[in-house]
Amino acid sequence: MTSRPRLATDVNYVNGLAALALFAVMAYVFFTTELGQPAGFPDGSITASIGYAMFDMVDQAAIGAESFLVAFEIIDIVLVAALVGAVMLARREGDDSVVTAIADGGRQVYDEATGADDRADDPTTADGGDH
Amino acid sequence: MAIATQYYLLLSAAVFCIGVYGVLTRRNALLFLMSVELMLNAANVNLVAFSFHYGNLTGQVFSLFVMALAAAEVAIGIGIILVLYRNFEDVDVTKAATMRW
Repeated sequence: MTSRPRLATDVNYVNGLAALALFAVMAYVFFTTELGQPAGFPDGSITASIGYAMFDMVDQAAIGAESFLVAFEIIDIVLVAALVGAVMLARREGDDSVVTAIADGGRQVYDEATGADDRADDPTTADGGDH
Repeated sequence: MAIATQYYLLLSAAVFCIGVYGVLTRRNALLFLMSVELMLNAANVNLVAFSFHYGNLTGQVFSLFVMALAAAEVAIGIGIILVLYRNFEDVDVTKAATMRW
């Protein structure tokens, strides 16, 4: 039987009203502020200027910007830390068995499905399938 | 004739409010992450719009850094959701009501 997504009717409308009110306030502020016409960019490659701004070479850029070399290096450290943290979070706790990238080709699933238990004493099949 | 900056701000406010609504109503942690992403990208629209408004590329460069930070945030967020699922057998944020058990 197929199913289709249905409109949720058990939602809390107060939240929607709060978000709409926030939008109304922001729209009011935007359209009562005198911003003037946008200045636009001078002629020259925007992409190249972004690259120069990232590596502290703003004197070669066609369009002005601040230099961001320190921020670039910090974001590098932040990304590495985030990825290491994600791996640390995803690791199973209290399971010091070595997890390898080599899969068993679905052998364990196959064994469970067919009832074959001929490799149960093999320590390499003991991990990976228990939840 | 360039588009006036107000309309970019209006788009950004709309995207941000959709994100706020998602955070307020959703119960699935993954959709929470998507809503936070919407809010971050609304800020990116603002940065790029004002970069064009002032004819200075600082905003565009900074929006790239915001994207990198969003990637880091999503990596940690997915890790947290994984732990949440492991501990509560669900990614419903309202079910995770205890810190230790």
